[in-house]
Amino acid sequence: MIYFDNAATSFPKPPEVFAAMTQFMAEAGGNPGRSGHRLATGAEAMIDNTRNAVSKFFGIGDPKRCIFTLNCTDALNMAIKGVLRTGDHAISSVLEHNSVNRPLQKAADDGEITLDRVGLDESGAWRVADVLAKVTPKTKLVAITHCANVLGVVCPVAELGQALRAKHPHVRLLVDAAQSAGVVPIDAEAMGIDFLAFPGHKGLFAPTGTGALLIGSRVKEDELRAWREGGTGGDSSSPHQPFELPYYLEGGTPNTMGIAGLLAGVTFLKKEGPNKVLAHERALQQRLIESLGADSRFTLYGTKDPPKKGGALSITIKDRDTAETASILDQAFEICVRPGLHCAPYTHKALGTFPTGTLRLSPGYFNTLDEADAVVAALQEIAS
Amino acid sequence: MADKLERYNRQILLPFIGEEGQKGIAASTAVVAGCGALGTVIANVLARAGVGKLRIIDRDFIEKSNLQRQVLFDEKDCAENLPKAAAAERKCRQINSEIEIEGIVTDINPANVEELIKGATVVVDGADNFETRFVLNDACVKHKIPWVYGAAVGSLGLTMTIIPEVTPCIRCIFETAPPPGMTPTCDTAGVLASVTGLIGNFEAAEALKICAGRTAEINKRLFQIDLWNGELHRFKIEKAREVADCPCCKRRNFEFLEGQGASTTTGLCGRNAVQINPKTGAKLDLAAMAKQLQGTSDITNLSVNKFLLKFNAPGGDEPKEGLEITVFPDARAIIKGTKKVAVARTAYAKYVGA
Repeated sequence: MIYFDNAATSFPKPPEVFAAMTQFMAEAGGNPGRSGHRLATGAEAMIDNTRNAVSKFFGIGDPKRCIFTLNCTDALNMAIKGVLRTGDHAISSVLEHNSVNRPLQKAADDGEITLDRVGLDESGAWRVADVLAKVTPKTKLVAITHCANVLGVVCPVAELGQALRAKHPHVRLLVDAAQSAGVVPIDAEAMGIDFLAFPGHKGLFAPTGTGALLIGSRVKEDELRAWREGGTGGDSSSPHQPFELPYYLEGGTPNTMGIAGLLAGVTFLKKEGPNKVLAHERALQQRLIESLGADSRFTLYGTKDPPKKGGALSITIKDRDTAETASILDQAFEICVRPGLHCAPYTHKALGTFPTGTLRLSPGYFNTLDEADAVVAALQEIAS
Repeated sequence: MADKLERYNRQILLPFIGEEGQKGIAASTAVVAGCGALGTVIANVLARAGVGKLRIIDRDFIEKSNLQRQVLFDEKDCAENLPKAAAAERKCRQINSEIEIEGIVTDINPANVEELIKGATVVVDGADNFETRFVLNDACVKHKIPWVYGAAVGSLGLTMTIIPEVTPCIRCIFETAPPPGMTPTCDTAGVLASVTGLIGNFEAAEALKICAGRTAEINKRLFQIDLWNGELHRFKIEKAREVADCPCCKRRNFEFLEGQGASTTTGLCGRNAVQINPKTGAKLDLAAMAKQLQGTSDITNLSVNKFLLKFNAPGGDEPKEGLEITVFPDARAIIKGTKKVAVARTAYAKYVGA
């Protein structure tokens, strides 16, 4: 079996990840912050360690500004619904996943906010100038992807973040790092990111059910509304959610076992070396782009320059249906890829691939060049 | 009372029914699970016999090719493109306005089956696929509701009656459903109206025995008839329950009800299509299947290669566009032209078999 669907979730996970989860479950499964006994404090310590590791990895100084979430969608909703107020203006792009599109569209349809979506350039990225051109005094939030899940093109987040801070300091920047976190280097404060949302289960090798929202230092607590409230373990006498990060946004018992896996995943990534991981993924991309790009039966979408790529490559095949091709790859070749719209309808409308979508090849760190060649050979056999 | 019973006079005259039996029939609830060739025959008999409450369930719509054998439907129903359950309800009301009749347009599946059979005195099989029968079997055994199995294809018919925990259940006889694509279906191999009529009537008689309180007199054999060859077999299955370590009625492990034995469906992202994922590890001979499908008159553009088998069939959300069905070697299929799971499952049951 060749797994080329790492943009959906990474597979396999490093053995360290499930070992850490099993160990936590078997030996240390208390409820963090809910008691003073050894298992509760042990779980609390594990969670604090993970907060430290994750915030450090992404360049956020204060680990209290690492909020654990269910996934990236949860983190994006927390930021979008937490920040936007009636009368605000928001800017997004056509490259976004529905986890950004839908919360914004609902708020716009309900008349609460106004919304602009910028288009994409020939490489498959949004342009900084297009975003800046849309900023008004009412603009509160730019919610935008770092590396889109259909095209896998790395977008100029640092340039945008720095420009926004210099020219429009009233605008907050929310970055959807679903595809880039763990793959492409991110230093949130240096890049001018105010909110960084990402899942644990993709580039960070953690299990599903994990994710985080990192909140930059210039964002004040009162800029955010908690959209999920409940018990935090501390200060139970108050009728209100404590106004203190991370608890302000973290009502309810967290996914402790998943967070144990997240810590192991980030530790694995640091041990392997993020540069090595990125170089390997780009080598795989390069192999796919060179082989498929040379064959006129395949159309490749987005830039063909591997240094500008994150994890995914979208293609279509002449006279072949994407859903059928994916089924054939699975059945006859034991290759797992994803066909369709990948929850990003506006991207496909911009590319002209709506509604049938594309075939997305997303190799990961554990794939080999031989596997990339096998995928190419299978696609060529199907195309002929 | 005498006036009310007059319409049932000829069956009350029967010594094994009588007034007592008729009262039982009137107090009963029968569920007709599937209303095609078998189900229309069953519903017709049970409505006329005065079963107090009749619940008719089917997911499909009437097509012209149904009229050859589905006795409750006529050309007008077909022109109106009515759901079978709705047309059957309407016709049965015309037949007998003194009983309660409810037509339900739905796909019988592990999630809804227990609600659908709730309160039933008997469940009668009019399904067109094995998977539904195994789901029905689990649900009926679990809730101890007697049910009558029946099936027909070509000129061959089969039936048996199941009294949970007393007689063998369907899984005592057939441990598991045959893999998709392995058995002929009425849409690929054809069916004789006489055999669906015969089996449907047989099933209805069994249901009436149960409703009339004559459960002891049910058919205790697996009954098989080939009407064209005139061959009749009555398999002795009385001991099957003792012999078989049945996962369903012995171990009460309801795999199909819990969804473990059932196929799943996936709506394809952005597409007007449903993917059906069978549970079995089947390996289909696509070329042989193509040969079988060639004789099916409503299929067009049939093509086959080593990867897939593809054809167009009528139906779907836009009837003018129809359905495009792609079958892969492991029996999974993509049904294009519908977003409705029930429509996709019907097409799968018809052309692939489930």
